[in-house]
Amino acid sequence: MANARLVENGIVKRVVRLKCRGRVHTVEVDGTEAVPRRAAVVPVPGGVWVSLDGHCEFFEPVLGSVPLPSRAADPEVRAPMTGRIVSIRVKPGDAVREGDVLVILEAMKMEYRLAAPAAGKVATVRVAERDRVEIGAVLVTMAPP
Amino acid sequence: MTKILVANRGEIACRILRTLRDMGISSVAVHSEADKDSPHVDEADEAVQVEGNDPAKSYLNIQGLLEAAGRTGATAIHPGYGFLSTNARFATACERAKLTFIGPTAAAMTTLGDKRSARSTAERCGIPVIPGARECDSPEAAQAIADRVGYPILVKAAGGGGGRGLRQVDEAAGLPEAFAAARREAESSFRDGRMLVEKFIHPARHIEIQILGDGKKAVAFGERECSLQRRFQKIIEESPSPAVSGSLRAALSDAAERLAVAAGYSNAGTVEFLLGPDGAWYFLEVNARLQVEHPITEARFGIDLVRAQVELALGGSLPAPAEPRGHAIEARINAEDPARDFLPMTGRVAALRWPHRPDLRVDAGLREGQEILPWFDPLLGKIIAWGPDREWARRRLLGGLRDLVLAGVPTNQRFLIDTLESDFFVQGETFTTTLESQSWTPPEPSKAMLVAAATAAAPPAPKSKSASPWRTRGSWRMGS
Repeated sequence: MANARLVENGIVKRVVRLKCRGRVHTVEVDGTEAVPRRAAVVPVPGGVWVSLDGHCEFFEPVLGSVPLPSRAADPEVRAPMTGRIVSIRVKPGDAVREGDVLVILEAMKMEYRLAAPAAGKVATVRVAERDRVEIGAVLVTMAPP
Repeated sequence: MTKILVANRGEIACRILRTLRDMGISSVAVHSEADKDSPHVDEADEAVQVEGNDPAKSYLNIQGLLEAAGRTGATAIHPGYGFLSTNARFATACERAKLTFIGPTAAAMTTLGDKRSARSTAERCGIPVIPGARECDSPEAAQAIADRVGYPILVKAAGGGGGRGLRQVDEAAGLPEAFAAARREAESSFRDGRMLVEKFIHPARHIEIQILGDGKKAVAFGERECSLQRRFQKIIEESPSPAVSGSLRAALSDAAERLAVAAGYSNAGTVEFLLGPDGAWYFLEVNARLQVEHPITEARFGIDLVRAQVELALGGSLPAPAEPRGHAIEARINAEDPARDFLPMTGRVAALRWPHRPDLRVDAGLREGQEILPWFDPLLGKIIAWGPDREWARRRLLGGLRDLVLAGVPTNQRFLIDTLESDFFVQGETFTTTLESQSWTPPEPSKAMLVAAATAAAPPAPKSKSASPWRTRGSWRMGS
């Protein structure tokens, strides 16, 4: 799975990472976005082609670790899905770089590596290994470096 | 009963076959094993598989093509462009097999198709030619010519075309290596290692005149400007040229007609010229065949050049050119990546939707599900826009290019759009070196594209009535 889900103000958001021409784009979608009806969306094995107004690109979902979007105002790392904490890789006070894995969550028999959205310090760890967590639950809070 | 075999594939085979249907003439397509499901096979009344060591070789297999004609009772062969279209041995072989070759005679093809002989014919007709341009067998001989005409120079294959066997040399030190490289390329591409050296006119426009001849007379059908090229291959063409005045057009047309008459040229051909920055013009070469960009001439003159070719080959008389109308621009859709030096791309066409609007023509031989094969040139199709003036034609072509959906294989679609929107194009400041002097990077995908891709890659929960791609799409089907 290439996407993680988080709940924000009661809306389920999915965070999807897509590779296009070698660059990884992180996109948040909640299903309310309007896509122009003239866009052609063509799923093929391995990804999806999108053609809009003469611009056509291939997007490949990026598997593996799912960093949540960086947001200065949101220093919380939340569970993208309901699942069980497999491993906690940090403790309060640890300095982390963007992309460092904080917590590994198992959901739907797959592991999600939740990474630091930005460089900083771990403020609190709200869960323990083997805890069951609900989607959107705060797992780790971050502080500036 | 006339029955015509089309010895080609892709968009040009489809285009020729459509005119044959309009004329009520039976047609035969040929194809390689790999092309057996290609669109041109379906457009013909009959199809014959021709063997070849690789898929492209089938279309170069003279014996195989003549056998296919014999087996189906074809009486004439249209060679299209590329492949055997300018091969005098093929024209001769058709004549011997009592097949009408739809093109010039082998003799006229030899006189004008070979660059060296074409140049001396032009000189005899008093048509200006580029300084230098003598055949030379060694880098030393090339050096002597370069010293006389001055750098930069071009080293080019005497029997070639399409940019292969061609090198620009800016100073004496680079000549030996460029000469050797160009000759190697010429030998492997054309099995002909004869080389020419000539002065490099810069910045130059590529202007060509469409002609039709009957062996005794010739008529010109205006000019096409084909300056916008990448790797010496044309990519956007227009007619008329923003740089050609009425008096220049008359002079170029007169030169083209005189050259055709001097060579006893019959059928359709194109006489290419270079227009220098000082307004001086020089004869470049003759393309003794139908050109890729012929539709822009058709759009302005209201003529079907393939029909004219067939009629001339069957003994018909020369059509008189009508008064040309408006402006036409063509863009070539290629399977290539403009961000990576126009590297040819392969893949499977996953979705295809051509634009439709008045005065917008699409010439293509492509279908959804088709595999784009590496053995052939990367041209997938052409969009040709006509308008009462240049700006109308440009905007119409842009509209068409924006409407085009061609997914599954990377193409130059967005590059064409950006080029048509560039200041240099809007102002008509187009030269043969313009595109290579501009760097182009593809724009980042828009937010809407990313959201569309994300929604498709990670569909929302089943209950949500949201922006699923199945709802945001129109009613056309994708995939095959």
